[in-house]
Amino acid sequence: MPLSKDELLKAYRMMKTIREFEERLHVEFATGEIPGFVHLYAGEEASATGFCMHLDDRDKIASNHRGHGHSIGKGCDVDAMMAEIYGRGNGLCGGKGGSMHIADLSKGMMGANGIVGGGSPLACGAALAAKQLGTGGVAISFFGDGASNQGTSMESLNLASVWNLPCIFVVENNGYAEATSSKYSVACDDAADRASAFNMPGVVVDGHDFFAVYEAAGEAVKRAREGKGPTLIECKLNRYYGHFEGDAQTYRGKDEVKNLRATIDCLDRFRAKVTSADLLSEAELDVIDGEVAALIDGSVEKAKAAPMPAPAELLTDVYISY
Amino acid sequence: MSLDDHAPSIGVLANPAAGRDIRRLVAQASVFPIAEKRNMITRLFSSLGMLGVGTVYMMSDGNGIADRIRHALETPPPSDQIWPKVVFLDMPIEDRAVDTLVAAEKMVAHGVGGIIVLGGDGTHRLVASRAGDVPITALSTGTNNVFPAMREASIAGLAAGLVATGQVPVGDCAVRNKVLRVDVNGVESDLALVDLCTSTELWIGSRALWRAEGLDQLFLSFAEADAIGLSSIGGLIRPVTRAAEGGLWLNLADPASAPIIVTAPLAPGLMIDIGVEAVQDLRPGEAISLRAERGVVALDGEREIEFSQTDKLAVRLEWDGPLTLDISKVMTYAAEHELLHRVNAN
Amino acid sequence: MARNISYQQAIGEALAQEMERDETVILMGEDVAGGAGSPGEDDAWGGVLGVTKGLYGKFGDRVMDTPITESAFIGAAVGAATSGLRPVAELMFIDFMGVCFDQMFNQAAKFRYMFGGNAETPVVIRTMYGAGFRAAAQHSQCLYPVFTHIPGLKVVTPSTPYDAKGLLIQSIRDNDPVIFCEHKALYTLEGDVPEEAYAIPFGEANVTREGDDVTIVTLGRMLHVAHEAADALAKEKISCEVVDLRTTSPMDTDTIIESVENTGRLVVLDESHPRCSIATDVSAIVAQEAFGALKAPIRMVTAPHVPVPFAENLEDLYIPDAGQVQQAVRTVMGKD
Ligand SMILES: Cc1ncc(C[n+]2csc(CCOP(=O)(O)OP(=O)(O)O)c2C)c(N)n1
Ligand SMILES: [Mg+2]
Repeated sequence: MPLSKDELLKAYRMMKTIREFEERLHVEFATGEIPGFVHLYAGEEASATGFCMHLDDRDKIASNHRGHGHSIGKGCDVDAMMAEIYGRGNGLCGGKGGSMHIADLSKGMMGANGIVGGGSPLACGAALAAKQLGTGGVAISFFGDGASNQGTSMESLNLASVWNLPCIFVVENNGYAEATSSKYSVACDDAADRASAFNMPGVVVDGHDFFAVYEAAGEAVKRAREGKGPTLIECKLNRYYGHFEGDAQTYRGKDEVKNLRATIDCLDRFRAKVTSADLLSEAELDVIDGEVAALIDGSVEKAKAAPMPAPAELLTDVYISY
Repeated sequence: MSLDDHAPSIGVLANPAAGRDIRRLVAQASVFPIAEKRNMITRLFSSLGMLGVGTVYMMSDGNGIADRIRHALETPPPSDQIWPKVVFLDMPIEDRAVDTLVAAEKMVAHGVGGIIVLGGDGTHRLVASRAGDVPITALSTGTNNVFPAMREASIAGLAAGLVATGQVPVGDCAVRNKVLRVDVNGVESDLALVDLCTSTELWIGSRALWRAEGLDQLFLSFAEADAIGLSSIGGLIRPVTRAAEGGLWLNLADPASAPIIVTAPLAPGLMIDIGVEAVQDLRPGEAISLRAERGVVALDGEREIEFSQTDKLAVRLEWDGPLTLDISKVMTYAAEHELLHRVNAN
Repeated sequence: MARNISYQQAIGEALAQEMERDETVILMGEDVAGGAGSPGEDDAWGGVLGVTKGLYGKFGDRVMDTPITESAFIGAAVGAATSGLRPVAELMFIDFMGVCFDQMFNQAAKFRYMFGGNAETPVVIRTMYGAGFRAAAQHSQCLYPVFTHIPGLKVVTPSTPYDAKGLLIQSIRDNDPVIFCEHKALYTLEGDVPEEAYAIPFGEANVTREGDDVTIVTLGRMLHVAHEAADALAKEKISCEVVDLRTTSPMDTDTIIESVENTGRLVVLDESHPRCSIATDVSAIVAQEAFGALKAPIRMVTAPHVPVPFAENLEDLYIPDAGQVQQAVRTVMGKD
């Protein structure tokens, strides 16, 4: 089932929105106005987009510390996300969570996560609920190569398999966990090897190619919806910025990122493919670029102008305060 | 220079990525762990060292086989085995198919007496495009392959080593293979060893072809009735051996209206009805233009080339493919010439 | 000879000197070298905030980057400690104890007692705690009361560069498991630190300021808040004695009681939550042991019983400040 023109436009807009959001945060962070730890997803857009394009309101995702892309993919409001990252009262979580804890349960976004490996058990739970309630929904856990070593990740793979859950484990392997290479930290080389040990299919896809991710994601989502159980998909991809903003990245190779941007950028590849296949025109894509740029400009402007949370908020949203 | 530098050398090329594609999700294709590829390689070392192969050249990779081999080299081999010296090729690592191409070229440039390939049809395809007349020992790492066979590595190592050390003449035991070459806009572009298939799908996507819908034309250099994958479509209608002069080409169609329907094992555990409109002989040297206006070309089962209305593609069968060792023939020759047995004089 | 160095340098120096002195001391943790298997620099990070930077260059494979697998490597440090090594394992943020708590409290803490005195577990777990970095709810907590609750664990919370070095050296030489808690806002704090190695014994609180009217018992970063408050109160002619606990387990109850017996008033200042905490514990000890000396009810100044918020203004409100301490002191003085 080839993607319709509308779907192609939607996918491009999603990827572009994530990219612009992150590129802009990179710039704004450098001014010192954004507090806390910010982990950017730029470079990895095809993964979030390839999966989220298959999801609807029944479905849930659990994310990690690098969660802006997943959040945008699952439909979180960009203005409210930006305000949250600035710690404003009108932020998606009232300014109480920040970049690492963006969540919108009403959209099925169960939260970014500050604890590496924290998301997969939660995704199992969401998948269990979907199964018990018969909603037809699926749950996806997005996590990194580093997180794939965490006990909770392995335990979740096992549990999802034992309970035959409609759960999809997406390992976003960007080659590093902080400064440590996955080549050092992961004892098997592809998560696919681990998946087979937990009796579920494990697939490696090119995470720079939207169409590769989209296709594999579609099969995994279909399998989950049909009650056939969990799948693990490893997207091989790269991050364009440091582990967090402020990381000097001396552990990376010389020109590593420059070469990646020049050769395998997911947005460039998408654009080249759809235009050479005559499915979308450069002009149509440029229009989206303009709209996205305006959206992000507006969101930054609004976030900067928004008020901080009211001081009384310190003691709300908790069952007791003293 | 030590004696070793004059001793024959061999290339060992293992594709770390082989066996992880979407066929594990849409079919029931096997997963072949890297740890087992490493074990196969050390078994090769045992055979090669025993036969006096001095150096093994290996691809540097970012994916862990090279690291595992380095680790294996640090821990001494079992008992009194002598392993050859292992040299990792000095090459850029991109973690992509191009690494295999570069490694094969460098092995040939080092004058290796053979290349032992561990991988699937895709890996062998890449090596074949660069191996020239260096004999290839083809070892499958998975159940989803046609060109290489699943063999015990120590035996494959013996065969490759016997030929590389000159104990068995290559001419007696190596065979030339056919290939399918694809020209894009008049320029020779790439090759397939077994099957070349066009599909009206638009994208390379997750690479494998596993759905009946969209399959358009299929070209086969040989077609065995007991094969897995696309070549089984031809093999189940009109088998063609590897040695036969020509190949086959088929126009495929919707099974609902096609005159012939083949139930073909397109991937492990995946039997699919494929409609066939016409089956024809493919004569060597004859160029057949593709009929689809746009779509993708899959080489040995993996989508590799996206083409659009402006591109003109043609396919040829040629007899200038790689030389592959017939392991059984080598070992039979060794038996007949008493290469691995001797009479105990005591 | 003492020089002026930072809390962070003091910790790095203690590690280097102990690793030099005793080759069974090893260091492990996520990116404690930083860059394992990566194409660039091998010693790229030296921990997230650079505290262990340079040690890999000096000690090579005795400084081990670990996969992100706290249960396994903290547990491995514990196991290695029972088997001839003195591992210092870094749990990057104290909040991550949630991932590996079993290895700390059911395993390490219990061995000596549960095995009838037949085991020693000389392991140190260095971990970073505290609010103020806009790091939100899962990277800002002060969880040392949880460890303090567990018999068998020693818990250390240095407040100055001098204490950081001496207490870390003691922690490494100690034969029991030690949780060494470093406040992230203190890393850049400078102070006089002797060049040579020295150990500060556990269970010896430090009276950092003498006074007659009120005892302020505190620890870690809050020590500096207490001093700020005491300075301000001195202008109001209120004389505060400040007691820095230095270790919460063992806790130097004698010094606390002695001070309260002199001043007759107690304010406990702690950045952790108010319930089942250091503040309640110190209050209870004083209520039990020195009730007769008290001239006024005890006051606790703590963070509120809520998770740490992200927004800057909320986090600033969350962290106890000198104003709150001054107010509490005035209250116990009957001057509000
Ligand atoms: C339990 C836990 N351990 C360690 C950390 C610190 N930490 C945050 S992100 C990260 C690296 C994660 O790597 P990976 O899973 O590959 O994701 P990536 O950052 O590459 O997207 C680490 C070690 C944490 N937040 N939680
Ligand atoms: Mg990573």
